[in-house]
Amino acid sequence: MCLPVTRYHEFAEIMHELRIAEDLISIVTETATEEGLKKVAKVSVCFGEMVQIDCGCFEVAFSEFVKGTIAENAEIDIEIIPVTAVCNNCKCDYKISNITFTCPECGSGDICILSGKELFIKSIEGD
Amino acid sequence: MEIKILKNILNKNQNMAVQVREHLRGKKILMVNIISSPGAGKTTLLEKTCEALTNRFRIGIIEGDITTDRDARRLQKYNIPIVLINTGGGCHLDSYSISRALESLDTDNLDVVFVENVGNLICPAQFDLGESFRLALLSTTEGDDKPAKYPMIFREAEAVILNKTDLIPYTNFRKDNFKADLARLNKNYHLFEISCTRGNGLTDWFTWIGGKIEDVRKS
Repeated sequence: MCLPVTRYHEFAEIMHELRIAEDLISIVTETATEEGLKKVAKVSVCFGEMVQIDCGCFEVAFSEFVKGTIAENAEIDIEIIPVTAVCNNCKCDYKISNITFTCPECGSGDICILSGKELFIKSIEGD
Repeated sequence: MEIKILKNILNKNQNMAVQVREHLRGKKILMVNIISSPGAGKTTLLEKTCEALTNRFRIGIIEGDITTDRDARRLQKYNIPIVLINTGGGCHLDSYSISRALESLDTDNLDVVFVENVGNLICPAQFDLGESFRLALLSTTEGDDKPAKYPMIFREAEAVILNKTDLIPYTNFRKDNFKADLARLNKNYHLFEISCTRGNGLTDWFTWIGGKIEDVRKS
């Protein structure tokens, strides 16, 4: 005798670029409304390299999802942030390249990631 | 007019993940987020794990599956509570779907929840589900370059399982390359080299995960 399986359909789960674009636009429209903007002309975001966002896919999703919103035709500005870290052992800070996360000075793996995992909205512009 | 915002775009997912983590901590439940490519052996690993641990622990499963219930049906024979989330093409689970799935589970009577994420090495890595830790599963037939190609998941995994080690002689998988890349990415992982079909290395995994479940139960 087996327990029945509880089954859900979650069609809100979409490609992550689409999901990120969707969440971004809800922040943009909420902020624009709060600030009394009538039109959003530009949205600036930054993505860390580690997040591996496909910018082309993201831009297409963004341009589709803004249709019919206050941000229709808004320009999207994407800044890619490199992965950087500070070593907890020798305190040096460095840029991580070629997936080597260990400290280039002392070889320690006890490090703190400073940047590279961002998925941030920085600002919106409009009037 | 420019308006500065500086906000995490996935803020809503993150906030829900924090709530899920708090809820599970209160119930003393370990939740493992299993991430791998399609076909790496997530469901087979769960079958073996259920076979070995259902007599010691109360296990619940959250199955992420794009469209079918095949994985969930494979696990039904263990007579454990299973919640299936069909994502309809979506490439990852998020904390909202996990929160809803947990509502269907009797969390007063569980020690561990295994979440089988949708088979994918990129997208699931961005979405915190509120799990206790992430388990990255790789099979040898996928190639030894996967940690280098998908650094985020291998960097953040507390446990890495290399499955299908019995097939290494028939592939060009180089274990030394794999381990060297992994060591450059992550200094704090536990590696298990297993073959689910042959049973190699599984005892170490059962001992380790059993210890993790016990630690949370006693916390």
